[in-house]
Amino acid sequence: MSNAGFIQSEVNNKSNAARKLRRLLATIGLWAIDLWQQPVHFLSDAVAVIWQSRRRVTWRRPVRAEFMRQCYQVGTRALPFITVSGIFIGFGIVAQALLWLEVFGGTALFGGFLSVVLVREIAPVLVGLIVIGRSGSIIVVELGTMKAEGQVHMLDAQGIDPFLYLVLPRVLALSICMFCLTIAFVAVALMAGFVSGTLLGPTKFTFLDFIHRSLGSMDRQEYISIAAKTLTIGFVVGLISCKAAVAPNGSGAGVLDILPRSFAKSVLATLVISIVLTILL
Amino acid sequence: MAVILEKQRVVLRFEDTVLTTDPYARSVSDELNLEVFGGDFFLIRLARSEQASTFADACAGIIRPLRGAVYFLGRNWHKLRPDLANALRGRIGSVFTTANWINHLSLMENILLPQLYHTHRSAGRIRDEAGQLAERFGLPGVPLGQPDDFTPDDLQRAACVRAFLGRPSLLLLQEPTTGMASEILPALIQAIRDARDRGAAVIWLTRESAIWDDASIPATHRYRLVARKLMEVTM
Repeated sequence: MSNAGFIQSEVNNKSNAARKLRRLLATIGLWAIDLWQQPVHFLSDAVAVIWQSRRRVTWRRPVRAEFMRQCYQVGTRALPFITVSGIFIGFGIVAQALLWLEVFGGTALFGGFLSVVLVREIAPVLVGLIVIGRSGSIIVVELGTMKAEGQVHMLDAQGIDPFLYLVLPRVLALSICMFCLTIAFVAVALMAGFVSGTLLGPTKFTFLDFIHRSLGSMDRQEYISIAAKTLTIGFVVGLISCKAAVAPNGSGAGVLDILPRSFAKSVLATLVISIVLTILL
Repeated sequence: MAVILEKQRVVLRFEDTVLTTDPYARSVSDELNLEVFGGDFFLIRLARSEQASTFADACAGIIRPLRGAVYFLGRNWHKLRPDLANALRGRIGSVFTTANWINHLSLMENILLPQLYHTHRSAGRIRDEAGQLAERFGLPGVPLGQPDDFTPDDLQRAACVRAFLGRPSLLLLQEPTTGMASEILPALIQAIRDARDRGAAVIWLTRESAIWDDASIPATHRYRLVARKLMEVTM
């Protein structure tokens, strides 16, 4: 009797250990799947946006209207804020650069300094952060509310693909507007810099000379770099915001839960893209 | 005098279908075998609004049945490519129980949206048809403001306009008369009659006793969900 009890408890111990091991393996497995699933899904959605945007049938009348609405929301309505930001940054950076380069007798380096620091590095990241805060969060709230209230389901039931009607126009609008806003930001910042330099006294350039020095020092590679950075940052921020709001597994979380996560992911992605493209291009 | 027998096509067919929306895959209906022909008018009484949503979603191929298949115009919803399934859903006119409207669009844009998305008809023609339907349902014209600016009654009328717009092959009406039965009913019944004459099938899902008991509603079939079985009732 006692032997039987001993054998039984040994069997129980072994099965408990096996169960614990299986649970541990399952946890590691789930973690690994989740780790790979997110980037793979993100990549497949990115490819789907690019692929679908090339198809004529995608651009039905409501999709075109939604794209124009988003361009207005993300681009036109952000222009005043971008202009004000450009003026402040221009006053700060360009005036300082002019001042200190004159002090140290390095005005010949002015063009290169501006193209590297302002046009190539600061402008895409700063405009990216403005777009994340202004438009990315609007997208998360708008789509998150639509999802929670069943409007996305209603579109589905009417045969209107939510990916084509809601996600694709927003991602493309963000990408294109990000590029346009950055160009506007750089133009305003340079003009503000010239004005501040003239007012503060150290500048001895004419306006055309100033523009020639700052933009003329940029080669083709740098123009490609700014286009690649802004288009990619806009695209990725748009996709992160849309996915956060309409992803099937996000339905349980409220908009207020999704918003900070999406903001953090977008900021991180902006910085990573900027660094990676700086290294590559 | 020759008698002409017209054989109507099957618009919707449930074949050994068991429905579920439950994540644990518990069935919410017993096996369902149902054929809805063009010109048919099914009045179905359900106990809860979720049951109506589940049934309507199954009709539109939004949810996959636990077992069996649902065919729309002879095609199995779940063997269709997503773009083809979406195109077919454009042939269904729906009134939904909740979330009828996209908030950032005007009510007119909401009404025209499915037709603009699925067809190449000019916006002007769609607007004209919507205007005629709006007058029929007691609105002065196609409503232009945002959905929040309208009363629930007007929104319900606008939902009916959208459902009947574009001569759909199937009408899925979830509680189309909520809170305003007596006012909208004659116009709705006339619109249903015209749609059936054109060969459309109509499925009206209701929880209201007043609608279920109303003998003036010319339903060709009346069903009610008893326990988990959809049973035909003769009146």
